[in-house]
Amino acid sequence: MENLIDELKLKVIDALNLEGMTPEDISDDAPLFGDDGLGLDSIDVLELIVLLEKNYGIKITNPKEGKAVFRSIVVMADYVKEHRTK
Amino acid sequence: MRTSVIPSGASLPTLYRSLAGDYPKFFKMDTACRLGFLLAEMLAKEDTDRFTPRTDRAILFFSHEGSQLTDRNYAETIKDFPSPAIFVYTIPNTVTGEIAIRNKWAGETGAYVLPEFDGVRILELIREAFQDGETSSVMAAWSDCRSDEEWTAKAWLIERNEIEQIKELSL
Repeated sequence: MENLIDELKLKVIDALNLEGMTPEDISDDAPLFGDDGLGLDSIDVLELIVLLEKNYGIKITNPKEGKAVFRSIVVMADYVKEHRTK
Repeated sequence: MRTSVIPSGASLPTLYRSLAGDYPKFFKMDTACRLGFLLAEMLAKEDTDRFTPRTDRAILFFSHEGSQLTDRNYAETIKDFPSPAIFVYTIPNTVTGEIAIRNKWAGETGAYVLPEFDGVRILELIREAFQDGETSSVMAAWSDCRSDEEWTAKAWLIERNEIEQIKELSL
C-alpha cells in the first residue's frame, strides 16, 4: 500500500503538471481539493479520471463519483487497490 | 513606489517556498502565473493589512509574449489527451486573476500585449487606472515569459500620491 501511495503521488504530480512539487509536499490524507489541501478543482478531476484509466484500467463515468474517489491520496489508493484491472 | 524583480532562470519553486509556502495552487500554475504570483508576494509582504479584502488596488500586467508559451504546451497535449489543467492558462490575463484571488484584491485588472517594453506607454495606462475615483494603488508588471527558464519580470506598486512624480518606468 505504501508503494501504491508513493506511486500515485508521482503520477498525480505528473498528470497535473505540478512542476516543482515533490511527493513530500502531498500528505497521504490531506484533501486534494479546496484551499485546505492541494488546491485542485473540478477541471483537475478530468485529468485524474484519465490517469486512473490509463494506468490502472479503471473507468469512472460519473464525475461525481470521481470527486469522492479523489478525496485524498489514501482514499484514491484504496479505490485503485480494489478496482484496478491492470 | 515598491518594486520587485525575479531574475531570469531563478528557481520559482524555491522562491515560492521562501516567500509563501502556504498556497499549493502555486504548483498548478504555468510559468507566467508563477512569475506574477511571486512578484505580487514580494510587493504585498510589506502591506500592513495583508489579505484584507480591498477594491482599491488595480492589477495591470504587460508583456510581449502573452500566453504563447502555454499555448504551445497545450497544443502539444492535443496530440495525446488535451489537458484541461493546461488549457485554463492559455489566456494572458489568467495571471491577474490568480493574484486577485490570492490577495483578495477586487479592483480593476488588465493584461496588455505590447510590441515591446514601453515604460512611457505603461505609465500612461497606470495613470488612467487612477481616473476611476476608487483606485488608490496599482500593481503593474512587465512579465514577459519567453520559456520556462527565460523571462523578464519586474513589478511596481504605485500609490495614487506617487504617480505624478514618476516620469517613466524602466526595467
